[in-house]
Amino acid sequence: MRTETQLVKDAQAGSADAFADLVRSYRERLLRFLLTRCATYADAEDALQDTLINAYRYIHTYDARWRFSTWLYRIAINNAARLQAPEVVELGELRDEESDPLLLCIGDSDAENLWVTARRLLNDEVYAAMWLRYAEDMSVNDISLALDRSVSWTKVNLLRGRRALDAGMNGGSEESKAYG
Amino acid sequence: MDKLARRLKEDADSIEVTVSEELDTRIAASLRGVTPERPARAPRERAKPTGFWWASSLTGIAAATAVIVIMNMQQAGEPPAATPVDVVAAVPAFDWKAESASLTGPLQQELENLEADIRKAEEKVKKDIGL
Repeated sequence: MRTETQLVKDAQAGSADAFADLVRSYRERLLRFLLTRCATYADAEDALQDTLINAYRYIHTYDARWRFSTWLYRIAINNAARLQAPEVVELGELRDEESDPLLLCIGDSDAENLWVTARRLLNDEVYAAMWLRYAEDMSVNDISLALDRSVSWTKVNLLRGRRALDAGMNGGSEESKAYG
Repeated sequence: MDKLARRLKEDADSIEVTVSEELDTRIAASLRGVTPERPARAPRERAKPTGFWWASSLTGIAAATAVIVIMNMQQAGEPPAATPVDVVAAVPAFDWKAESASLTGPLQQELENLEADIRKAEEKVKKDIGL
C-alpha cells in the first residue's frame, strides 16, 4: 500500500494510475461539496471531473508543504466558481426545489439541513470556509490557503458565519444581509 | 466540539452522494487522455567542446604576448621630444568688441525686405480697388 506522498510522486512522474488511486478517497467528498455549489447534479459531476483533470494536468505545481486535500479543494472551488459565473449560468434561475441537487441528496428530516440554511444566509466564500472547517475538519491555515485569503480573514468570517447560522437555527431574524 | 459544529458535521454527512460507475468510467477515460504538463525548465547550456577551452586560452596568451612585445619595442626607441605648445597662439582670437550691428545685420536686411514686400502688396491692393 503506497502512501499519499508516494502516490503524489508517482503521479508527478506521469502515472495516471497513481493519480487515480490518490484521488479515489476524495471523489465523494469533493462531489458532496460541489453539490452544494452547483445548480444541478450533472454540473456537480462535471465540476468534479474538471477538478480531477486539472489536478492531474497541473500535478507538477503541487507543493508538498500543502496538504493534498487543501490543494484539491482549491481547484474545486475555482471550478465551481467558474460554473457559477453569471455569464455562464444564472444559478438563481436554474435552482429550484425540484432540481436542487443538495435537496435531492438529503434524506427526509424534521429539521432543515443546516447546509441548506447556510447556503441561504452566507455568501459563497464564507460558505466554503464553513464547509472546509466543519464538514472537512480543515485547519484555519489550510482554509486560508484553499480560499487564497489571509488567516485573519478566515477567522473573522468563520466567526461571522457561525453567528449567522446560530441566529438562523434559533429562528432569529438576524439574517445577515452582508452574507446573503 | 460544540453543538453547532456537531450539527454541521452530521448534516454534511447526511448528504448522500455516490460516484456512479458511469462517472467513474468517464473520469478514468478523461485522465487517460490527459498528459500532465511538464514544469518549464531553463534551457540547458550546450556543452562546449574541449578544444574550445584550449583555443580561447591560447588566443588570450598570444594577444597578451603581442601587446607586451609592442610595448617593449616602443620603449626601446628614442622617446619623441616634447614640443612646447603655445596655447595662446593655438586658440583662435575672438573680437569681443565687434559691433552688435554686424551680428544682427542679416536680420535687419530680412526685416527691410519684408517691409518692402508689404508696401508693394498694399499698393497693389489700392490699385485694384481703384483708390
